[in-house]
Parts: sequence; structure tokens; C-alpha cells
Amino acid sequence: MPRAITGPMTSSFEIFDHTADAGIRIRAATLPELIQPATDGLYTCIGELVGSGNTAPFRFERTEAAPDAATLLRDYLQELLVLFETRTRRLSRVQVGEFTSTRIAVAGESQVVDETRSVYYREVKAVTYHELAIREIPGGYEATVIVDI
Amino acid sequence: MSEKYTGPLERIDANRWRIPKSYKPGMHVDGVIYADDALVAAIKEDKSPEQVANVACLPGIVKYSLAMPDIHWGYGFCIGGVAATDPLQGGVISPGGVGYDINCGVRLIRTNLTAEDVRPRIRQLVDRLFANVPCGVGKGGIIKFKKNELATLMEEGSRYVVRKHGLGWESDIEVTEAHGCIANAQPDLVSDTALERGKDQCGTLGSGNHFMEVQVVDQVDDEKVAAAMGLEEGLVAVMIHSGSRGLGYQVCEDNLKDLRDTPRKYGIELPDKQLVCAPVHSNEGQRYIGAMGAAANFAWCNRQIMTHLARQTFAEVFESPAERLGMHLVYDVAHNIAKMEPYDVDGKQVELCVHRKGATRAFPPGHPELPERYRHVGQPVLVPGDMGRYSYVLCGQPGSMSDTFGSSCHGAGRRMSRGAAVRASKGRSILKELLDRGVIARARGRTGLEEEQPDAYKDVISVVNVLDAAGISKKVARLKPIGVIKG
Repeated sequence: MPRAITGPMTSSFEIFDHTADAGIRIRAATLPELIQPATDGLYTCIGELVGSGNTAPFRFERTEAAPDAATLLRDYLQELLVLFETRTRRLSRVQVGEFTSTRIAVAGESQVVDETRSVYYREVKAVTYHELAIREIPGGYEATVIVDI
Repeated sequence: MSEKYTGPLERIDANRWRIPKSYKPGMHVDGVIYADDALVAAIKEDKSPEQVANVACLPGIVKYSLAMPDIHWGYGFCIGGVAATDPLQGGVISPGGVGYDINCGVRLIRTNLTAEDVRPRIRQLVDRLFANVPCGVGKGGIIKFKKNELATLMEEGSRYVVRKHGLGWESDIEVTEAHGCIANAQPDLVSDTALERGKDQCGTLGSGNHFMEVQVVDQVDDEKVAAAMGLEEGLVAVMIHSGSRGLGYQVCEDNLKDLRDTPRKYGIELPDKQLVCAPVHSNEGQRYIGAMGAAANFAWCNRQIMTHLARQTFAEVFESPAERLGMHLVYDVAHNIAKMEPYDVDGKQVELCVHRKGATRAFPPGHPELPERYRHVGQPVLVPGDMGRYSYVLCGQPGSMSDTFGSSCHGAGRRMSRGAAVRASKGRSILKELLDRGVIARARGRTGLEEEQPDAYKDVISVVNVLDAAGISKKVARLKPIGVIKG
């Protein structure tokens, strides 16, 4: 049940229980403002990932023919997962160009994860379609994403 | 999370419950859940029976949509789900019926060592296994395969790493399900992203519920069958649980994306879009099957390399070659896979596409696919429990062929979420509690032991007893952990 919102919604995420896996619940005042906490939520599922220079540009864009903001968000997070697994990189700066029900465009920068200063909790296999949803709530939006551990 | 199941569950007998096909529109067959009275109460606590009903809506599904007693909520299919479709009747293949970790599975290696031989060196053994077997996030394998070699490995399966790299024994191949190779795998259908994720991970354990465990056979339920497997009370064994790593996860991801609009193309209506699927004989279905086969073969190579590392470590610690330690592979099973297998359907032999999602093949005595060694006793079925209590070795029985498409359970099933398990660990040392139970544990992830603690899992005996009583797979031996490494 969403809390009563008396002012602009603060962007936030929380990790919630999901039997064998992990759920990320994200809240923000607008669709684009969901992106940063969703990014942070994914990384929190993996561990405490400390970036260490070696900055590189990042870009992700996708368009859906039919309105499906939740799938676009999922696709973006899956891209971050692949970036981490294949390049050991995490985003250090996130700049949302666009996030609507049919298009997502995120730019920014990534950094190599410093494994000497980072702590890994668990391996995330995938960002799933399970219970994937973005819904309007008083004051903004709430997104739910389940990751497969 | 999911609410409780409130639909029908009609008792068939002491070990089976039916969801009638009249329960929801679109069900072609009944659902059948294997469980006794004690388990069924817990099963209704989530909506996994709803998923059994949903799977019954898949085109071409034959006889019934099944679930094993370790049933719990999954993606599309429940964990513990088994479903067979007939390709000639428009039967489909669904990646949700395999899972992200394609060919996640288990293998068991026996030894001649007794618990008394091992206990004085158990700490050293576990420490050396932890050092020698790559596990945890970001840990790469001992071999970095190049792209062309990965293609060969995905085509040939575990025999490739045995014959080309000497990472195992020829005899390992015979006692691996499918001889460690799905025929007609298509490595060219594995994406570059999947190759990037997996190229450094062949021969790595992973994390989460994956493990390598040193175990003692502490109870034998069937001496004749145990003897055929080389198991005796008091002997030590090694169990490995792992799968296709990042390569397999990405193959599933790629195909889920590619198949998003496929059901609509073929006029397939699904009660749950996570049951995304394609007719087996369609271009899309064949593409998934080819890629899945390649990922499955990668997983067999993965477990084969870790077998070699386990043998090397034992040889190092006990200062004796693994051959002299009798470290033969008992068997290797896949518990996330879809395979084409012949079954009797209304008196005719029909080639069916059998999905096992957290379910293990369990062929009975006499089955022609079994190696000679097991043809008279039935296929070993390896069922991990938890790292504090025990795991089980079963063997397939005739009931599996008539009732469950040659399938049995795959594990204990979680009873506690990861978050709840971590909260329940506050103020406790799981490491010390395991030590008090006689288990030396090493884990790489910060929360691994807490999330995977014994209390987080059901007691596996409650699962295996149902299938023993139902004539699907019978108990052969119980194995108690004395050492475990986790990622």
C-alpha cells in the first residue's frame, strides 16, 4: 500500500524478499527519476561496488513499438549487469536523456570496479520479467523488478 | 511476493494431488503435484500450484502438468516443474521450463577414503578446495577459452575437456547424463554477449546455492544399488552443484527477448507471459533448442573441469593420485533442461519434448540410455539437501516412466527467503553453527553462508520420501556434509 505523499516524492529504492531471489522496489516522482535508484538497487544486490577511475562513456538507448516502460527499464538494468560481468564496470554517472513508455535513453560514465575496495554479496544471473511493473502511485511512480540470484 | 494458492487440490492418493483441468480456461490437461499431507499445506503458501495450472495451458502438452515435492514459485514454470509436449501436435518449447541456469545440475564423485581418513585433514582439504576451485563473483576459471575453442566445447560437451585438455577420465563420460553432450547443439546461435559472459567462467562454481561439498555416506538404504554406485557407509564423496554460468544465463535472456512476440505469431494464448514459447518444430523453437544445447554442453564442461580440480586437490592433500583414491564419478545429472525423449502415449511410442525445471531425470532399471553399470539398478538421482543436514542419492524406478516422464525431484526447496535468512542470522555465527554440526565451511560472498544456511531449506527427507513411496525414485544412500565451499 503506497504511503501518503505530502510533498514531492524522493527517489528511493528498497530491496525486498523474494524466496530464492531478490526484489527491487523503486519510487520516484517521474519516470526518468526512477533510473538512478534502479541503478543503485541493482548494484546493491550484487554488493558494495567501488569504482576506481578508468572512466569510459556509457550509452543505452531502446525504443518499444508498444508502450512498455517496465520492459525498457528491465532491458537497461540487464545491460548494466552485462557491463559488470563482462567488463567489471559499474556506472559512476547517470544522465537520463529520456524515459517514456516507449523510449529509454541513458548516457553517463562507467568505471572499473576496484575489487580490493569492493565487497561482493552474490552473483545476479539476470534481471527477470517476473512481477515486472511500473505503476503510478500518489506523487509519482513505483517500479518492481526481480533479479534472479 | 505471491499470495497463497486458493484453487482446487484434489487428493489422488497419499502422494499426489490433482488440479483439475476445469479449474481455469485454457488448461488442456490436469495438473498433478507430488506431495504428502505435510508438504501440501506448505505448498499452498505460495502460488506455485497456479503455475502448474498455467503450464497445463501450453499447446501440445501431454497427459498432465507435473510438479515434484520440492515445488516452489519460479518464473513461468514453478521450480520442480515437469511438462512434456508433443511436437507433432503443435507442442511447444518454453525457456521458462528450463530456467536461466541451463543445465544447472549435480555430480557426485566417490572415494575410497573413510571419514576417519579425512577428518584429521578436513580443514586443510576445505581450504585447498576453496583455493583451487574458482568460486564467487568475478572469479575466472583456470583456462581462458578462445572463441573458436568455446564453439568446439559447446558442440562436443565434456568429452572435449577430457580428451583435449586431460581434465578428467574417459570413464567420466559414460556416467554423465547424455554422455555430457546434447547432440545437434548449435554454438553459432550463442550470442557474442553470452560468449563474453561465459568465456572465463568454464570451471567455476558460481555463487548462490551452488556448492562443492565433501560428504560422508552416513546411511545406506539399498546396499545392492549403493554397491553398484561405489558407495558404502563411512566412505567420503564429493558433490558439485553448478551450471552453465553467465553463458547459459545470457542464452536464456537472449531467447526470452527473441521470443517475446512469438506466441502471438503462432496464435498461442498464454495465461502468463513468462511462459513465452514457440512450437518445437518452428524456426524459433529450433533456434532456442540449438542454443540451449550449446549452453548445456558448456555446463557439463564446467562441472567436468571442477571434477578435475577436486581430484587434484584430494591428491595434493592426501598425497596420493586420485586414481588410487578411487575418485570415480558416480553420476552427473541435469536438473534444468529440456530434452527429446520417447514415451508411451496411449499405447504408442512418441518423441516428446520434456521440460525439467528443477527436476531430475530418473530412468529406471533396464532403460537403454543408462550406462551398463546402472542398467540393472536404475539411474542415480542426486538430490542436494542443505549444508547442515544431508543430501540424498536415489535411483530411478519404473513409476517414473509411467507417471512422471522419467523425472524426480532435484533438491529440498527453500522455506525462507534470502532476506529472511540473513535477518534470522543476526547475532549468530552460521560458520560456528556449522562447525558445531561438524561442517567446515568457506564462502566468498559476504552473505553467502547466511542466505544458504540449513534453516533456509526444507528437510530434503520430506521430499525424497514422497517419491520413494510413489515408486518414482527410491532411496539409496544419505550423505552428510563435513566440508563445503561456496561462492
